[in-house]
Amino acid sequence: MAELMRMEHISKRFGTKLANDDVSLGVNEGEVHTLLGENGAGKSTLMNVLTGLYQPTSGKIFFRGKETKINGPRDAASMGIGMVHQHFMLINAMTALENITLGTKNNPSPRLNRSEDKRKVQELADRYGLEVDLDARVADMSIGMQQRVEILKVLYRGADLLVLDEPTAVLTDVEAEGLFSIMQSLTAEKKAVIFISHKMREVMRVSDRITVLRDGKSVTTLSCAETTSQELADLMIGHRFRESIYEKVTNPGEAVMSLNHVSLYPERKHGGLKDVSLSIHRGEIVGVAGIDGNGQSQLAQVVTGFAQPTSGTVDTPSGKVAIYSPKSFIDAGVADIPEDRNSMGLVGDMSIAENLILKNTDDERFSYGHGAWFKSRHIHEFAEQMREKNDIRCASVDQPVRSLSGGNQQKVILARELESHPSLLVAAYPTRGLDIGATEFVHDAMIRERDAGCAILLISADFDEVLKLSDRIVVLFEGQVMGTYPGKGAPVKEISLAMAGK
Amino acid sequence: MDTILSALPDILSATMRMTVPLLLVAIAELFSERAGMVNIGLDGLMSGGALAGFLAGYFSGNPWVGVLAGMVAGVLINLIYAYCTIKLCVDQVVLGMAINILAPALASFFYKVAFGDSSALAQGVQMATVSIPLLSDIPVIGPALFQQTPLAYIAYLLVPLSAMFFTQYRAGLNYCAVGENPQAADTLGINVIGTKVLACVICGALSGLGGAFLTLCYTSTYADGIVAGRGFIALSAVIFGRWQSLGVLVACMLFGFCDALQIVLQVNIQGTPYQFFQMIPYMVTLIALVLFVSKHMGPAANGQPYYHE
Repeated sequence: MAELMRMEHISKRFGTKLANDDVSLGVNEGEVHTLLGENGAGKSTLMNVLTGLYQPTSGKIFFRGKETKINGPRDAASMGIGMVHQHFMLINAMTALENITLGTKNNPSPRLNRSEDKRKVQELADRYGLEVDLDARVADMSIGMQQRVEILKVLYRGADLLVLDEPTAVLTDVEAEGLFSIMQSLTAEKKAVIFISHKMREVMRVSDRITVLRDGKSVTTLSCAETTSQELADLMIGHRFRESIYEKVTNPGEAVMSLNHVSLYPERKHGGLKDVSLSIHRGEIVGVAGIDGNGQSQLAQVVTGFAQPTSGTVDTPSGKVAIYSPKSFIDAGVADIPEDRNSMGLVGDMSIAENLILKNTDDERFSYGHGAWFKSRHIHEFAEQMREKNDIRCASVDQPVRSLSGGNQQKVILARELESHPSLLVAAYPTRGLDIGATEFVHDAMIRERDAGCAILLISADFDEVLKLSDRIVVLFEGQVMGTYPGKGAPVKEISLAMAGK
Repeated sequence: MDTILSALPDILSATMRMTVPLLLVAIAELFSERAGMVNIGLDGLMSGGALAGFLAGYFSGNPWVGVLAGMVAGVLINLIYAYCTIKLCVDQVVLGMAINILAPALASFFYKVAFGDSSALAQGVQMATVSIPLLSDIPVIGPALFQQTPLAYIAYLLVPLSAMFFTQYRAGLNYCAVGENPQAADTLGINVIGTKVLACVICGALSGLGGAFLTLCYTSTYADGIVAGRGFIALSAVIFGRWQSLGVLVACMLFGFCDALQIVLQVNIQGTPYQFFQMIPYMVTLIALVLFVSKHMGPAANGQPYYHE
């Protein structure tokens, strides 16, 4: 197969930091080439060099055998390199068609000719099996369809090499399957795909070849058929990776919180709770399995005091809950790792130290007069302790938390929530978007907390994660509890069926 | 009531006239906000245009020289805003407020440099109205609609022209993309910075034109405070008109009607303090904003600075 693109000895320096250090990557026509690496391994930097957003400090790029210089996204697009960013670059107020044709000169007339544009785009969509409603506004689309709009956008600009940056991070399993078949039809037409991911299962499923990056260097390139996920994981983290296997607890302590026939927006099929009864005990992890949008978010809202159930009661050891407010739940010892760490868990523009004390500003360790005057030195010392204890990688605890990677942001939340040794921890999607190392860290911390007597409610869309951590598994489907299963020797098949509502 | 009825043709004609400056400036703001630039300095830009238009008209004797000078003044003042908000990423609202304080003071200063500190108003030139043959002969609405200054016709023409630009042309769609999501526009090869600067030039020119209308068509004199908050009314017309050219026209005509109505009421109803009637346009603006505006309708990246790599 002919080589389409080759990057040779690419280095990119930011200040004193080498984000890419002598990286080489070759992509053939018609192949899916995966870039595998932990967060901060230099995948994004390399792709930004390829699409012209960054200029490499040294190194060469060849496209179709010719050495080229890529000065910007426009250059890259005209050569046939297109990127689908992890955070979509779409205009919500415009239609799919408008988004796709925006900024192109495929049609030379200054007047818009929507019907002709639409015919061309539809042709392209049909050819690669991309199902998109071209007249719908992006704001009204599912995430999966938005992604297909992004892919069409790139194809409409004549891309032969598509970079997909963590495309499955935002997709449900079904949508991801759809994406994989689209990738197949692309490669069948001799187009090449650079696939960025750290989910081992899907990497093994879709890749032809895999290049592993670690600490800014390209470690090796392997053919997918000749490697195993174990080998890839080892290469990625640089030492033998052994996935932890945790002991399951079968005899937990007394109940910390019990839900009795709780309903919340029961009229909604997706996004409501219907007659849910479940209890969470000291020293156990209750895992909630289910496909996203079957009431998980609402369950998290009820047990953290964000929402008051329409009917039913929530009992704690000190009696029936009367006031539903996050404050009263926090005071009762409930800690929360929220599902969206950026909008619910952290204040992005505030420093790491400030985020760490956010829940305890009136604590006398941190302020005089219940929050009237901060003890900056104590706060700083505390933040330094937390940074060390939780391995938060940052230049300083005074830098804005927004500037951290997802894994380190999650560690900040974890540090804040576990510091007070809560009686109940609600962890919603605690490892979403995290790489292997950070995921292990979060899991270890949760197990440690469980063993110290904390009750944990784990909500996750990652079935493997639920199986690995849970001592008891509850399946939610359309807001109802489909069944409760033991975590030890969990009946995987039965649970999968329950998740599908059977 | 009878007096008001008999004043109807007058009100109609005055409405058309009072709408013009609002419309020019509202369309200026529409172009600005479509590229994500909230400019609340319209009052300032208008007073700059009003003075420059007046002075150039006064000394050249030709209102069209005044029109040109008003537009140039608007652009020059707005380039301060452009540089600070686009290049330095200063908060747009703060800069707009600064323009509102700076420009009228400059206008007042230059007027006094030119005419001294006398209380008599200097008489400048006034642009003649142009009747459109046949159409202006229609009873009642003919004189009201088709006996206007050329600037009025230009203002009303801008409505369909801008609507077509934004919805029918590729360039218009690209322009709107900058106000919706500049990062996305940038990755698509649209010149974000260039579009924003262009938006400021258009906004400055049309606002200056709106100001010049006040001293070249509406009256032929310049006095401090002549703009009288029209910039802010135009600003709310854009919001009330939901960022659509036609909506902006309707909003401006509503506010223009209130302005016309208050003048007619002032003249015809004695015994009520005139300040009470003067209040009407501002009250209606306030009520319209409270009742009809939803927060989430403007360009998505409106008012946000774009940090370029």
